[in-house]
Amino acid sequence: MLEPELVAQLVTAERLRDRQGCCSTGIGAIDELLDGGWPRGALSELCGRRSSGRTSVLLASLAAALGAGQATALVDVDGTLDPRGAAAAGVALDRLLWVRAGGREALKAADLLIAAGGFGLVALDLGDGAARIPSAAWVRLKHAAERQRTAVVVATPRVTLGAFAASAIDLLARRPLFDGAGPPLLVALRTAVEVRRHRRSHDVAAASTNLIVKADRGPPWEPV
Amino acid sequence: MTLRLACVFVPQLALQAVLRREPEARGFAVALFDRAPASPHARVVTATEEARRGGVHAGMTGAQADAACPTLRKVCAAPADVATAQAALCDLGYAFAPRIDSESAPQGRIFFEVGDLDRLYPEGEGAIAQGIQARAARLGLGVRVAIASSKGIARVVTRARELAVVAHGGERAFLAPLPVTVLQDERDASDPSQARPRRVGGAASGNDNGGAGGNGKKRSGATTLPEVGVALQRWGIATVGALAMLPAAEVALRLGPAGARAHRLATGVDDEPFVPRLPADALEEGTELDYPIYEIEPLSFILRGLIDRALARLACRSLACAGITLRLALDPRGLDVREILIAAPTRESSTLLDLVRLDLARRPPDAAVVGATLIALPARVRATQLDFQRPAGPAPDRLAATLARLAALVGPENVGAPRAVDSWREEAIAVTPYPVSSAARAGQAGAAKGALAVRRFRPAQEVEVIMGRDGPTALRGSATTARVLIAAGPYRLHGEWWRPPEEDGDFCRDYWDVHASDGAIYRLHQDQRNGRWFLDGYYD
Repeated sequence: MLEPELVAQLVTAERLRDRQGCCSTGIGAIDELLDGGWPRGALSELCGRRSSGRTSVLLASLAAALGAGQATALVDVDGTLDPRGAAAAGVALDRLLWVRAGGREALKAADLLIAAGGFGLVALDLGDGAARIPSAAWVRLKHAAERQRTAVVVATPRVTLGAFAASAIDLLARRPLFDGAGPPLLVALRTAVEVRRHRRSHDVAAASTNLIVKADRGPPWEPV
Repeated sequence: MTLRLACVFVPQLALQAVLRREPEARGFAVALFDRAPASPHARVVTATEEARRGGVHAGMTGAQADAACPTLRKVCAAPADVATAQAALCDLGYAFAPRIDSESAPQGRIFFEVGDLDRLYPEGEGAIAQGIQARAARLGLGVRVAIASSKGIARVVTRARELAVVAHGGERAFLAPLPVTVLQDERDASDPSQARPRRVGGAASGNDNGGAGGNGKKRSGATTLPEVGVALQRWGIATVGALAMLPAAEVALRLGPAGARAHRLATGVDDEPFVPRLPADALEEGTELDYPIYEIEPLSFILRGLIDRALARLACRSLACAGITLRLALDPRGLDVREILIAAPTRESSTLLDLVRLDLARRPPDAAVVGATLIALPARVRATQLDFQRPAGPAPDRLAATLARLAALVGPENVGAPRAVDSWREEAIAVTPYPVSSAARAGQAGAAKGALAVRRFRPAQEVEVIMGRDGPTALRGSATTARVLIAAGPYRLHGEWWRPPEEDGDFCRDYWDVHASDGAIYRLHQDQRNGRWFLDGYYD
């Protein structure tokens, strides 16, 4: 008879295989929801409006992929990446390929990166004003990702990929936490994570969780 | 070990140089003139086989050539064409040997050692010679190849055969049936492949190098090989073998040093030294245009040819292009020189052309272009040892090509690894080159920390802010218009006091984090020098 603690650590062979075919999001709660993380060889969608934690989750995914030794790239449509914030999130900046490209150039850049092969994770951040993107572009990216076994994460403010995404999660901003004692200070951001699409399961209604992302202050602050 | 040398000879080098520049003219009747074909004094120097079949021969004027062959295409070789064809020939040699001898040879001929290529070509020296010809064809050159144990013998054989291998010790037997005219040097007579028959030793109408040589001129105080040829003809000596049968001392007595040299060659004796040299660092391809080009699109056709030829030459040396310097000659005078950065060495022609076109589109030349020279910086693409413990990652050469394409697509300044600048300015940012090799990307793995990120607007967007008693109460700008629900701040950031304000130094900002009614948490600041408000970004 196995000890209960040992049983709790055991995973089924099917689940293990699924996890090996995934790229961790860097956030355990989301990895649990997605059965291991972003699926390799497929498109995934990370959807959230302003201050929903979309960028924080994306940076955590990049940090996890870089930490696992994978070649990782970020295609940034608006060029809004904050290197200090990314470094604070654990992203090894010197190993992240950052491409600032706008509009259709971003899709072309993502396509080039995926087609190069060898990238574990390619993140496409469509910024705030995601323009309408033709389905053919997603089909092309999807096939390229399948060929190269690359996990492609598309961060958008609204639902964009639809059925082209193998996995999709929505982030819903909740009331932020401010420190009430003394001068107010933003402490953390609260968000709800809901799985909209899952590569294996069709029953995703109950798949949700809440996250608190804490602020990490860089320079010393001097209250006025 | 016996020295085995390959001699590679480009007949009609000037004509081939022009055909290399204009490959679409291959297979047609083409005649090379000694000056601009429209000039009334222009004369045919040499012509292709098709033109010769049509009746065109050296010395004709343009009108005579047109009358003989109505479909004739008349061309003139620029010095740059000949120079780059000669350089391409040298690169052909570097594809097979680390050092070649070309300085002591006339233009259009190189020598290099092939004695140690038997492992690559176990079929023998015949396969080596065929391999050289095939590689030359890829460079746009039709060559003759001879392999022998000495330079002089190999040179003589290239005048008589397209492809030949002379066994060590069998030189005399090999040369014996050849006509004695093959002993003539190109500096003394034109190439025997010229179709127009002429008297042995007679004055040539041109040579292989576009009429640039001193053909037919007698050297002071010495018997020339053409004179030796005339004498031998008078004696009834028609073949090299017959010359070799003559006593050496008697030949030298009657024909002088040139006769003695010819006799030594005929007997298979050659003491000409093989003086190899290393390749030059940079590789140059150039062309002069017949008419000025004003627009980028037609110019890119010219540049594509230069890039293709440069890459073919680099491929000969197993190298890639690590940088481009483009020199454009402007009309009527002036030079436009530009350096084009390449993220990583690449051999992709389309990528390089995209980079060049992008640069031209960003900074067009000031005037029409009448000539272009492309200098490619060679670099070695090294194989990388993979790591058992880490994913393989992209192949270095593919990644290099991808980086170059990305740079061409979005600009080199937008591709790379981000770097936080050592500055108090929150918006300060830098991009460093992305490491191509996986070894350079290897390092201590970090862990995801899950800190709250900020999306920064670049540049910061100016907004209007309504201030209340406790801070901002509303903000309006292009990014948002909203009421402020919670405002945290202000927090002052003051820095760069050592730089004057005129140089955008000595900044003083009051920062606020505001929770707006549109649901976002913005970060904004007020510049204390002028009171203006800016939206830096939002927490996300």
